[in-house]
Amino acid sequence: MRRPVFFATSFFALIAGHFAVAQDAGVTYSLNGTPGLLDMPTAQTAQEGALAATIAYAPGLLRTTFTFQLTDRLSGSLRYSLVDLYDDPTSGRLEGELERGFDLRYRFNNETTYLPAIAIGLRDILTPNRFGSEYLVATKSIGDNLTVTAGIGWGAMGTRDGFDNPLSGLGDRPDFDEADPEGQLASDYWFRGDAAAFGGLEYQINERWGIKAEYSSIAYPVESFAPAIAADSPFNFGVTYRPRPGVQLAIASLYGNELAVSGSFALNANNRPGMSGIEPAPAPVKVRTAQERANGSAAPEAALRVALTALLKIEGITLTGLSVTDTTARVRYVNGRYRSQAQAMGRVSRMMTQVMPGQIETLVLEPEARGIPLSATTIARSDVERLENQAGAAQIMLQRSQFDDADIATDLINVRPEAPRWAWGIGPYFELNSLGSDGSVEVDTGITLRGVYTITPQLVLSGAIGQSVLKADKADPGIDDTPDIQNVRSDSGFYGDDGVPVLRDLTLVHYARPAPNLYSRVSVGYLERMFGGISTELLWKPVGSNLGLGAELNYVAQRDSDMAFGFDEYDYDVVTGYVSAYYDLGNGYHTQLDLGRYLAGDWGATVSIDREYNNGVRVGAYVTQTDLSYDAFGDGSYNKGIRITIPQDYLTGTATRRDYDATLRTRVGDGGARLRINGRLYDEVREGHLNDLSDTWGRFWR
Amino acid sequence: MMLRITACLIMLILAACGPLNEGGTGVQLGQAVLARVAGAEQPVQQSAGVPQDALLANPGKYLRVNARATGRWLTMVQAGQNGSRVTWIDSSNISLTLENGIVVATRGLPRDLMGSDVSQTWSAIRAGGGNSQRQHDFLTDIDGISTELLQCRIASQGPEVIERLQKTLNSVRFEEECRGEGLGFTNVYWVNRDGGMIRSLQAISPDAGYLQIDVY
Repeated sequence: MRRPVFFATSFFALIAGHFAVAQDAGVTYSLNGTPGLLDMPTAQTAQEGALAATIAYAPGLLRTTFTFQLTDRLSGSLRYSLVDLYDDPTSGRLEGELERGFDLRYRFNNETTYLPAIAIGLRDILTPNRFGSEYLVATKSIGDNLTVTAGIGWGAMGTRDGFDNPLSGLGDRPDFDEADPEGQLASDYWFRGDAAAFGGLEYQINERWGIKAEYSSIAYPVESFAPAIAADSPFNFGVTYRPRPGVQLAIASLYGNELAVSGSFALNANNRPGMSGIEPAPAPVKVRTAQERANGSAAPEAALRVALTALLKIEGITLTGLSVTDTTARVRYVNGRYRSQAQAMGRVSRMMTQVMPGQIETLVLEPEARGIPLSATTIARSDVERLENQAGAAQIMLQRSQFDDADIATDLINVRPEAPRWAWGIGPYFELNSLGSDGSVEVDTGITLRGVYTITPQLVLSGAIGQSVLKADKADPGIDDTPDIQNVRSDSGFYGDDGVPVLRDLTLVHYARPAPNLYSRVSVGYLERMFGGISTELLWKPVGSNLGLGAELNYVAQRDSDMAFGFDEYDYDVVTGYVSAYYDLGNGYHTQLDLGRYLAGDWGATVSIDREYNNGVRVGAYVTQTDLSYDAFGDGSYNKGIRITIPQDYLTGTATRRDYDATLRTRVGDGGARLRINGRLYDEVREGHLNDLSDTWGRFWR
Repeated sequence: MMLRITACLIMLILAACGPLNEGGTGVQLGQAVLARVAGAEQPVQQSAGVPQDALLANPGKYLRVNARATGRWLTMVQAGQNGSRVTWIDSSNISLTLENGIVVATRGLPRDLMGSDVSQTWSAIRAGGGNSQRQHDFLTDIDGISTELLQCRIASQGPEVIERLQKTLNSVRFEEECRGEGLGFTNVYWVNRDGGMIRSLQAISPDAGYLQIDVY
């Protein structure tokens, strides 16, 4: 039985101002997966940081869209559509063709009392842009619950009762060309040809229910290779239902003859469902008395080691090195629990206050990964004592701490626990593999048994055997559409399809610190599903620097498609490598440039840019362009994709270093392909360096 | 070993397993889903293993805390002291740090109060009322610190008798009304004749709500 509360809680309700944004219902999503009506857009934008996945089904058209609101005004969408097409020349039907599309949208202004919000948008901007459209749209709120939208569209959105293009100076829109190589910017189409007007209304009945009506400017004409969708009427009507924040279900009547359903699932990188985290409280700081500071008894090193090892184990942290001099204690450790290395540092320093002799005033903390130290953070023990639970403590602690490279010349006493050298694990895997160069993909899933043998902390043997539960067709590659280029990726779907267990990887990996600010990696063996050989890497990255420079050199051969031990089937080997620059641009933007030789022997460059939130959510895009001609590459033109990472603790609030990540590629081609290697240096090293540490420094005291 | 692997294979439907996968994706998600299905409210723990006699027989040893947002009861014991600040912790590893009975920090609540300066509030209570300024630091969703500056007015509400565990306690009730840019709350304190805080109702954060704190 609950005790009676002795106050009416409502009287004491906390007034929360800027804390309340998470509760905002926000915009609704269209069937296209962008903020909008049903098939038509609005000028509204989601909140900055919103990441939404929408799956929408209408007969003949299944769309899955990921939309990310990069800034307050700019958003991008990636869409996979399965669409029925009218065939050429018979106008029969092609069922379920897979189309990839990318949209951009920019809102020019905030809505004011008199002025609507106005936005410009480009739909399906890459060739062959089957749904290619451009639009200008204005949206005005009337009261709290009604919005009115009107706009003008070009391309597919200019096909119903189109009129002469107001921008006719731009010239005619080229005819849609099915044979356009996929994936290039379709800029010669933009804002050309006929334009047409569209508009609509959205009314939010209450927090959960809303209705929409629109006049669509897409006529879906019956043409070769056009979407086989009947549009008898321009009017669409829909109902939206939002059972809880971030979830939207919708049902709509489309074009007078079809019913569509959709589900949208949104989260915002800035609003963590796990809030500030529910992991256990840290140990309180143990404060020394004046007498202890002056002449604390010096505990024997062995006793210190045992005590600190036990205390850190509570925090999921493994003590690997220890050195105690007159007033300084230096520790090296592996953080196995906290996503934030700054939080792990806070926990380590609290534990050190419990056991370190009183005269120890300087604490040097060295996080370790893959057997090598990443940095050394020097903090004053008296600061830890003085600042605990004080206002402004995180900021002051950051200012007073010193961040350097770890001293790799002076060894610590090795205090690694007698851990078993063998470890194993069974887990599921999921992957998308391409089947030949025509762009089709297949889903594969199965289980892997992984074994790890730690020879030394820096030298690890690891291997995984996998068994697919879906693939046993023993299919062989068909006609090679791109004979001028080795099928380094496009035969991926034919790997391991014999229905028997396969060797997914088997590698011996060594990490080292050859000199201050330098990191190295050597990997030998069956590096990934399709390639084996040797991969080497060197990284220069000072602890306090925004810039990192790396070099990678690999010599690999293509594995047999049975994924056993052989390299005979393809008889293909290649030297590949890159020089790389990594730069932290600040404000959550990170960029990487790689120049070098790719797996098919093509030379080129990869540019990546990532928007990273300090809580670990990342959304990034990359593009690779090489010296292969578009013809030699085949469909896809160049390698590009979007990657999304969401840490587990973001969702659950429980401390863990795991995350979910996914790379969404528009198409996997053989050009611009890289080895898939885990543990590339920059990703291992950066979390121990100043920028990443200060990003999550708010967790130092958590 | 074979038995473990077999059990592991069966578990794979839900989760990954093996030493490499402890606390893996599936397990954590499963727990998250279960928590959601079961509802957010925690079962009420009347005394969390500490009988009333023990509470009464050991003055100063225990705190009883009721999280108003969830109805959950916590029993806390002293875990550390830093100057005039005392940190209390419960068996589920939620901690609360008090200075003269006023909350200065929490750990393990959905939105922790990371640190604060509340010294003027205590001075105002000692003076029988007055104004104070507080600074509260919260941990944000993107792992930064957001600071709230609060202007507070403390006023005595006169004497009030508290009935607690069949004991009658005399106290003076104070209310503190605080307003800041993004946050506002009203705390209540019951202070005994010796200046000790025997009970209070204090705001932590919008996500963590109010805590009723009984000092035994």
